[in-house]
Amino acid sequence: MKVKVCVGSNCTLLGSMGILDQIEELQDLIREDEDNYKDEELEVEAIKCLGHCKISNEKIAPIAIIDDEVILNATSQVVMEKIVNKMRKG
Amino acid sequence: MKESYVNLIYIRRQVFAKIAQMAYKGSNLRELEKASFEILPGEVATYRDSIFRERAILDERLRLTMGLDARDANEYGRVTDGISEVDVDETHFIEPLVNVITHACEACPTKAFMVTDNCRKCLAHPCTNVCPTNAVSIGKSRAIIDQDKCIKCGRCKTTCPYSAIVQYERPCAAACGVNAIDSDYLGRAQINRNRCVSCGRCIIQCPYGAIADKSQIYQLIKALKTDSHMYAIIAPSFIGQFGPLASPLQIAEGIKQLGFKDVIEVSLGADITTLREAKEYLEKVPGEIPYMGTSCCNSWAIMVEKLFPDQYEYISDSSSPMVETARYIKKKDPDARITFIGPCISKKLEALRDDVKDYVHFVITFEELMGMFVAEEIELSEIEIESKIEDASTLGRGYAIAGGVAEAVKTTAMALDPSKEIQVENASTLHECVKLMKLAKAGKKNGYLLEGMACEGGCIAGPGTIASVNRVRKAVTEFTKQSPYKTPFDNAHIKEENLPEEASVTNMNLS
Repeated sequence: MKVKVCVGSNCTLLGSMGILDQIEELQDLIREDEDNYKDEELEVEAIKCLGHCKISNEKIAPIAIIDDEVILNATSQVVMEKIVNKMRKG
Repeated sequence: MKESYVNLIYIRRQVFAKIAQMAYKGSNLRELEKASFEILPGEVATYRDSIFRERAILDERLRLTMGLDARDANEYGRVTDGISEVDVDETHFIEPLVNVITHACEACPTKAFMVTDNCRKCLAHPCTNVCPTNAVSIGKSRAIIDQDKCIKCGRCKTTCPYSAIVQYERPCAAACGVNAIDSDYLGRAQINRNRCVSCGRCIIQCPYGAIADKSQIYQLIKALKTDSHMYAIIAPSFIGQFGPLASPLQIAEGIKQLGFKDVIEVSLGADITTLREAKEYLEKVPGEIPYMGTSCCNSWAIMVEKLFPDQYEYISDSSSPMVETARYIKKKDPDARITFIGPCISKKLEALRDDVKDYVHFVITFEELMGMFVAEEIELSEIEIESKIEDASTLGRGYAIAGGVAEAVKTTAMALDPSKEIQVENASTLHECVKLMKLAKAGKKNGYLLEGMACEGGCIAGPGTIASVNRVRKAVTEFTKQSPYKTPFDNAHIKEENLPEEASVTNMNLS
């Protein structure tokens, strides 16, 4: 499973590195409790600005992408919940 | 700002970006009246009990970011009152630096022990039996602590088998290492100016965002638009602050795109400070002074000045890396106007000192700088640049991490005089600094080199940071290793003429 977090200027200003920190800690949590998670690697990638917020009039930063799903106004709790729901067994 | 206080980061930093944007655009400052509606649109509250209060508090943030005082709820005034005073292209500082936004403060109760729902009103109830003031009794549903009798020893908490008793403390006061948080008549936090050392811990710890410092970004941007001799000096902890994809060089280039002529690492000044402090230590300890404290953390130095005035003369006379770096630039360009960019708010005060104000003209934090990048739509990771950033040695770059200053000075002093054994001790957090000074005052640290840092872990944990401490510690450690110079002696930028006489390299018999 691949999670991307935008670390462009606006997303960084509004806390995207905090989301990265939380996901990295979640990786540890999954590693320690691997029996309860699917045998699939959680990949995290910091990505450059995709330009979404520069063309939108709405506030949408920070942005995260889980596999192909784009999450606007991402928070670490929403991103982590989606990851855990997809990766946890049963 | 504390990374897990996501909502507060969101509000606080949008204000920085907004003010920076207005400054770059040259907007009419009357637009400040509606800025809180742009940042907090709609009529439904998101963060507090009402949208009116949210905007009222945001207005105070806008004022503080402009460099103005926050208003009290009992004063009539517009958000723009006094604005012409700060609509200038130089630092216009209005005391104090650290401010409680009174209508944002929720008047949290002061330190107390409290019984929680975990209490089972057990038969043994050891909580009552260990209390030295007989303050704990068993009530209808749980144990009760008589707060008038309680002396806050914590013995009931320790003995409870259900972890039912918790210690409660208001976060601002718990974070303050110098007991500078009092209460006003409504129980809200009030800062005791005689004790406050402007370290900024309370700002980052308050979960209501009720404490904020003043900014100079508006005035800085005005200066950047007209003055071609603006230089930025960037503190050693800048590595990794602006996102994992922004390289040190891209950060420096991005700063230039904001209107600066050049960017120099403050670690260069750290190398000069190291040479001076090492020399000073060898000369003065233990003959002239019993021990020596480092000089680079301004809040540590102010703390010693305010709480241990008779010990203040034992703090090194050497200038801080910020000042040494600025002097280095001033020598090359006498018209230079210099902006320190760092993790620290206390530097905003250091820059106002009589012996510093001609060298350092503006001080902003990494958070405030990030607001400027966003205002100018600069994407650091997209910048193409090929050159090197090699201003400082490995030891100089290590100043950002607790222990790094003492390590640099010790290594350098030992190189100068291998016969001398140097004991060092470092304290990080003001609580620890105060403890260390108590020991030093009692004569228990004679012969020592004492490094004091107000922030836990060193400058990498400063109140104006963006990235988490662990992230930055890794990045800074990697960057220190990339320096072509191991020690300040190897630093090719430090020539005779940049050193004050007393720290001259030839005087040190190194040739």
